[in-house]
Amino acid sequence: MRRIKWAALVIAALLIGACQQAPGSGQKPAKLTIAAVQGNEDAALKAVAPLYEQKTGIKIEIVEFPYDQLYEKLVTTFKANSATYDLVMMDDPWMPKFGTDESLQPLDSSYGFKRDSDIPDVVYDVGTWPPPRGAVPPAAKGKAAHLIGITIVGNVEMFMYRSDKGAAPKTWDEVKANADKNKAANFYGYLVRGKATNPVVADFLPILWSFGGDVFDQNWNVTIDNAASLKAVKFLVQDLKAAAQPGPESTDAADRDRLMAIGQGYQSTVWPGEITSVIQNASVSQVVGKVAYIPMPAGPSGKGVGMMGNWLLGVPKASPNGQAAADFITWLTSTETQKTYVDNGGIPARKSLLNDSALNQKNPYFSALAKSLDAVPNWRPRTDQWNAVETILGTNLNAALAGTATPEAAVQKAADAIRTLMKGAGY
Amino acid sequence: MPNVTEARPAPLHRAGAGRFTRQERLAYTMLVPILGSIFLIVTYPFVLAVIQSLQATNGGAFVGLQNYVTGLENPLLYEALAATAVYAALVLPTEILLGLGLALAVHRGIKSTALRALFFGMAIVPLVIPPIAVGVIARLMYAPSYGAINHILMLTGITHDEINWLGQPITAMPAVASVDVWQWTPFVYLVLFSGFLTVPRDEIEAAQVDGASGWSQFWRIELYYLRPLLILIVFFRLADVLRVFDHVFILTGGGPGNTTQLLSLYLYRVEFKFSDYGQAAALAVVVLIAISVVYSLVTRVLPLERR
Repeated sequence: MRRIKWAALVIAALLIGACQQAPGSGQKPAKLTIAAVQGNEDAALKAVAPLYEQKTGIKIEIVEFPYDQLYEKLVTTFKANSATYDLVMMDDPWMPKFGTDESLQPLDSSYGFKRDSDIPDVVYDVGTWPPPRGAVPPAAKGKAAHLIGITIVGNVEMFMYRSDKGAAPKTWDEVKANADKNKAANFYGYLVRGKATNPVVADFLPILWSFGGDVFDQNWNVTIDNAASLKAVKFLVQDLKAAAQPGPESTDAADRDRLMAIGQGYQSTVWPGEITSVIQNASVSQVVGKVAYIPMPAGPSGKGVGMMGNWLLGVPKASPNGQAAADFITWLTSTETQKTYVDNGGIPARKSLLNDSALNQKNPYFSALAKSLDAVPNWRPRTDQWNAVETILGTNLNAALAGTATPEAAVQKAADAIRTLMKGAGY
Repeated sequence: MPNVTEARPAPLHRAGAGRFTRQERLAYTMLVPILGSIFLIVTYPFVLAVIQSLQATNGGAFVGLQNYVTGLENPLLYEALAATAVYAALVLPTEILLGLGLALAVHRGIKSTALRALFFGMAIVPLVIPPIAVGVIARLMYAPSYGAINHILMLTGITHDEINWLGQPITAMPAVASVDVWQWTPFVYLVLFSGFLTVPRDEIEAAQVDGASGWSQFWRIELYYLRPLLILIVFFRLADVLRVFDHVFILTGGGPGNTTQLLSLYLYRVEFKFSDYGQAAALAVVVLIAISVVYSLVTRVLPLERR
């Protein structure tokens, strides 16, 4: 008799479980769980999330991870097809990986997302897979493009300089000239972010593109060892390094920000998050009002090319609350919510906010960010192999910066390793 | 003389031949949770890793030993192993010598219970700080321009120019190793200090009566009793060295070049940067087997039991 009771209980539990919401159902959940990156990028999200609960009764739970751990968590969660998160924050270089693996729900065909004219096309393009322009990975060719992520942090890499000490550089030659002119004891003409792997690559790619070089051509042929690319490498590891701070090969963004904030740096590349958290933060910075922000200077190619670093929100394929998650994205990216978001330090992608004169007073980089988006910044090559490519390139660039390899040898070694990698991956 | 027989427990009830007694059943039942936990935490992931190591990363098709061949053919693996060996060669002897010296000094030189407790408390502090926080603090200390270490060296006249600690191959590895030494020497001290307290007092006193010097007492008596603990420390620290990740990642990211890319960082990159799950699993299995072999050799060569 007891066994029968237990069996009945188990069957009842299974039936209740089976009656739970199926993935993508439209029922209103009690809460939505977001996996987010810890730091400046999710600060505004955390600030506005309680407003959504007040409006809809749906609790927003934000689970934070440091940058690298977030990527690992997403990879393992998607691999296990786990429904742990209803929404995930993703750095834009991760999109090819998640797009190729089909880890995310299409927001356009499933939930009716359409482009908003107040948001630059490039912002939607970076969340679309396969990419609507540029080189497309072989495995994604011929597949229908879908919007799988919506930008909530409109990061574009820009340029900063001490406007109290000199004029805005229009070209990288002027950057070098200003660096040499302003270099003094305990004051560095250019701050190189050269720590191995991601940091040095992030600092280098805008220079590479402005010099007319690239990592790949349109057919995924490796071009990092061509003449234009090599010239860009030499410019970083020889010309800029000569005017840079000591130890550029171990410098990351936090070190660069600190040097700039204590008044020991003249100029460098910069991400908006660094501006709001350190450079323009009067509680830690001695240079508030002394630093100006501009789009990337032009190189020998005749144009300056910024780099996309958007953070996007996407809905994992396994989330049972797809519609509710999509509704949250719609609410978060609406003009009204974005105003509150900006008041809390958020970095918008809406042109109307970036060009708002009152907001520009409070956020002196908004205008440069708007211009950078208008100029259509580059994105990192849209391949699911990018993390590996970046590791190879970043390790060898770091070696060249440290002087343990010549620029020629470093570039050749990187190019050979990337060619082997891409060939093995079917490119 | 009375006939003395061994006291035997009363025979337990057996329901039939080949069946467990009630006491045996109870014992096995009580073991189930712990054995189940071990299976879930250790055996199951290992079996999964072995299965993954035999599958293609894309699609999961059976590829035999291909992932092992690919992994072992990559020269970067051997660079990482060499870096790990250098790191171990720097940290293990340094931590053991410093920890042993400190334990000996406190054991012989400090008799006050309060002072010993103070040393105990101070030694605990580095052990409870998360390695990532230690890495951040060390990064600030080693930073050029504003780092405390360069500042002190220049202030005291030891150097006249800033040392690029983390950016040069010759200094990057010692700088990274120094963080490990700072954090884990207290562990060695705590273990060995407790070992000193277990040395039989009468043997020391007998040696003193015979006129043995302090050095002789240490070398011939105390070190003999500490030997199992020293082996235990080598075991623990060697395992930790193979797992070192956080502070290396924070301090150098494996640079300059690949100079400080230790085995754990290399495996992390194969798994999460190169997304080569098959190769990462194969290398993890190889490392596990290699460590097991090394440990069994060490236990055979260095006796754990006091004889």
